[in-house]
Amino acid sequence: ADAPKIELRASDVWDDDYPTVRALRNMGELLSQRTNGRITLKVFSGGALGSEKETIEQVKGGTLDMVRVNISAMNNTCPITIVPALPFLFRSVDHMHKALDGAPGEEILRSCEPQGYVGLAYYDSGARSIYAKKPVRSLADTKGMKIRVQPSDMWVSVANAMGANATPLAFGEVYTALKTGLTDAAENNIPSYEGTKHYEVVKYYSKTEHSMAPEVVMFSAKKWATLSKADQALIREAAKSSVTQNRKYWSDREAQSLAKVTAAGSVIVSDVDKKSFADAMAPVYAKFVTTDQAKALVKAIQDFKEAPAAAPAKK
Amino acid sequence: MALTVLAIVFALLLILGVPVVFAIGLSSVAAFVASSGGLDMLVPNLNTMFNTMIGDSGMNKLAFLAIPFFIFAGELMIYGGMADKIVNFAKAAVGHVRGGLGMSNVVACTLFGGISGSAVADVSAMGSVLIPIMKKEGYDADYAVNVTTHAALVGVLTPTSLNIILFTLAAGGKVSILDMIYAGIIPAILLTACNLAAAYLVARKRGYPRGEWPGWAIVARSFAAALPGLMVIVIILFCITAGICTATESASIAVVWALFLSAVVYRSLTVEQFIAACAKAAKTTGTVLTLIGISAVFGYLLAINEVPTMAGEWMSHISTNPFVIFFLVNIILFVLGTFLDMAPTILICTPIFMPICAKFGMDPVQFGIVMLLNCALGLNTPPVGTTQFVGCAIGEISVGQVMKTILPFYGSLTATMMLITYIPALSMWLPNLVRSFAVG
Amino acid sequence: MYTRLCATLSKLSLQLAAIGLMLILLCMLYMVIGRYVFNDMPAWAERLALLLTLYVTLLSTAVSVRDAGHIGLESFLVLAPDWLRLKLEYVIHGLLIVFGALMLYFGTTLAISYWGETIPTLEWAPDGLRRIPVALCGGLMILFSIEHIIALVKGTEVEPSWH
Ligand code: NA
Ligand code: NA
Repeated sequence: ADAPKIELRASDVWDDDYPTVRALRNMGELLSQRTNGRITLKVFSGGALGSEKETIEQVKGGTLDMVRVNISAMNNTCPITIVPALPFLFRSVDHMHKALDGAPGEEILRSCEPQGYVGLAYYDSGARSIYAKKPVRSLADTKGMKIRVQPSDMWVSVANAMGANATPLAFGEVYTALKTGLTDAAENNIPSYEGTKHYEVVKYYSKTEHSMAPEVVMFSAKKWATLSKADQALIREAAKSSVTQNRKYWSDREAQSLAKVTAAGSVIVSDVDKKSFADAMAPVYAKFVTTDQAKALVKAIQDFKEAPAAAPAKK
Repeated sequence: MALTVLAIVFALLLILGVPVVFAIGLSSVAAFVASSGGLDMLVPNLNTMFNTMIGDSGMNKLAFLAIPFFIFAGELMIYGGMADKIVNFAKAAVGHVRGGLGMSNVVACTLFGGISGSAVADVSAMGSVLIPIMKKEGYDADYAVNVTTHAALVGVLTPTSLNIILFTLAAGGKVSILDMIYAGIIPAILLTACNLAAAYLVARKRGYPRGEWPGWAIVARSFAAALPGLMVIVIILFCITAGICTATESASIAVVWALFLSAVVYRSLTVEQFIAACAKAAKTTGTVLTLIGISAVFGYLLAINEVPTMAGEWMSHISTNPFVIFFLVNIILFVLGTFLDMAPTILICTPIFMPICAKFGMDPVQFGIVMLLNCALGLNTPPVGTTQFVGCAIGEISVGQVMKTILPFYGSLTATMMLITYIPALSMWLPNLVRSFAVG
Repeated sequence: MYTRLCATLSKLSLQLAAIGLMLILLCMLYMVIGRYVFNDMPAWAERLALLLTLYVTLLSTAVSVRDAGHIGLESFLVLAPDWLRLKLEYVIHGLLIVFGALMLYFGTTLAISYWGETIPTLEWAPDGLRRIPVALCGGLMILFSIEHIIALVKGTEVEPSWH
């Protein structure tokens, strides 16, 4: 007997050539290859179905099957997801990959299940850094600076911990605001710094690398329950495989964006005293890491070692 | 299936006379019923519908707050007597030309359009002063109404325009409001020139009277009186360009300025009038923002049924020549504009046609100006022609009578639109110039 | 009696909407002034303004249903003969009741299901607060549309209660 055809729909707010969207399409290709076209995945890019917040609501209700959002978008729904977004939690991209691929990452995704989400994978979002009209080398440089951050409690508190003023601005107004000097700085990863054309108006991209809040791929638990065990496994597999592709797309894109912004005259500031920032983040941790579960998770992630060779040495 | 239901129910409800906002709402409900196949999915679908309406795609955007405030500032200016001062200046400056009141009307409407947020507000403010005067002086009602309603359309392109805000939002943050404001200036001047030409030619043909030249002193004095009101344009541009505030916040500054002028400088605003302005602004906010919210649902339904992709493919099948594509887009926008009001047209069509035009080399900013002009044309085209309705109501004349002599005015608008569509520099030169200054 | 109730509710809604608009204005001005005078640009002011916008918008939307203030295609209705037009008006108000009922139901259930989440940067405010105006608007729309139907039966007009 033929299993029924399954047509899945996924949403992403980024444009077609963004690494997350490409990875989702890659996942769709894998699915349809491995099922001879029985399971297909249609990706709605560019926020056609709504913002990250709106689309996670749709996934919860089951009107949308899958979504790629930044983990920050899940913070209100499953509070433990705030952990991987915490400032200076990961020491390096490698550290982040290891921790999220391991038990801590598993635990965070599972925490969303009671809320109606089956977490399938983490995608790369690189490290977020501050860009401004002047270089930022240490905590002293952000004192009194007006920084545009995402409108969430944690990001406002991170900006405050840096001694900066969090400027709440709609995304579309940031370019003009940076140009006119309404705000001094913004923060994001290199591809976004390039994609938003913010590099045209502010020249100094200082590698503060203050957060590595990853992207997540969430599947609707409601839809999940209607799928056979075999299909669930197929979808999980495809999502996992697309992670490898995503990391490749991401590093390619980062290199491209970096080349583009430096060619346009941007200065990448690498000698940043990250410790001065990290040390100032205690109030953020005190405010947002309150439950035992969160504390244990933070510790588990910090204990993860990035270089595999280092792990046995400690034991 | 869902799309067919959406289209048919929407058309039926419109013909039935259901207000547009509820016609969109109810037809969306019908489309969800058709696509859900049972209560099991209908409930979550309708949850999505109402979440979208009040969500980030719908009303929940800070920039929309500029809309109530530009409306409010406009109301305060009307109650505060700024409208009369602008009319006086316009009459003094161009009243002596043949068909002088017609010319004055164009100038006054254009200037007031710069300080009011919407073409409808412009027509109601200027029209209620000028149309009765014109009729008394022997001008035909159809001429008076056509001149007013077309001159009011210029306001769609000038700084306080609600529609510029709507467009930048519909463009998904890819277009800066400031760029749009600068891009609109030359087209606004061009459209005004075309309006003046049309008003003059018709006036000459019909042999309308000319007024008397009042002398430079009177012109200067009336200009000085109108200047504080007009200053709001300068204040807005200055505040945004100098980084004092965002475009959204500039609207609240416009309110403070209007309040300051009417209540403190001219002392012509009573408490009752202030409350009336508040209530009027609140009501218009309701009408406009609910329409925006519900249009987002419409947009969601179009997106999930892949209309934008289909439209793009269909158009590139027809032609790969940019000239043809742009022309086609103009025609489609015009047809939709006859049935829909400006806000829903912008919100629904931008995500569909902007990418297509961009593919054929049109800058999103230029596309925005083309779109605004096209929707403006729709404001004066029945069956849903909001400014035209208001103008006709003031002029006490039927839409049919006005339509009989509308051609010269349509001509001026269409000519401007073609120029803007095919000569990018008209809209792009100024914003590019400003940008090059800012970065250097 | 019923008309008096509706008139009062409509006036009250519009008054609240007007007050809300003033509060939004204060929020926005605070954002500008806060930036220059207090060197502080509070994120809450923005979110509060957005929350208030929903109340202002949806309350006055309901009032506009009572005052017949929404933009429609009335030109077609004018062409219809009187007997047909009257019947169509019943249908229109009936449809508005249907839509109002949907808004009331979904506004209420959504408000309940989002009560546990808070609005970002407004820690005191449950996200459900953003759904209440939908329900309020729906409820008022039902009341006002019934009033219109009664007026049609009686052959009277609904008088706008405030401005
Ligand atoms: Na304007
Ligand atoms: Na029209």
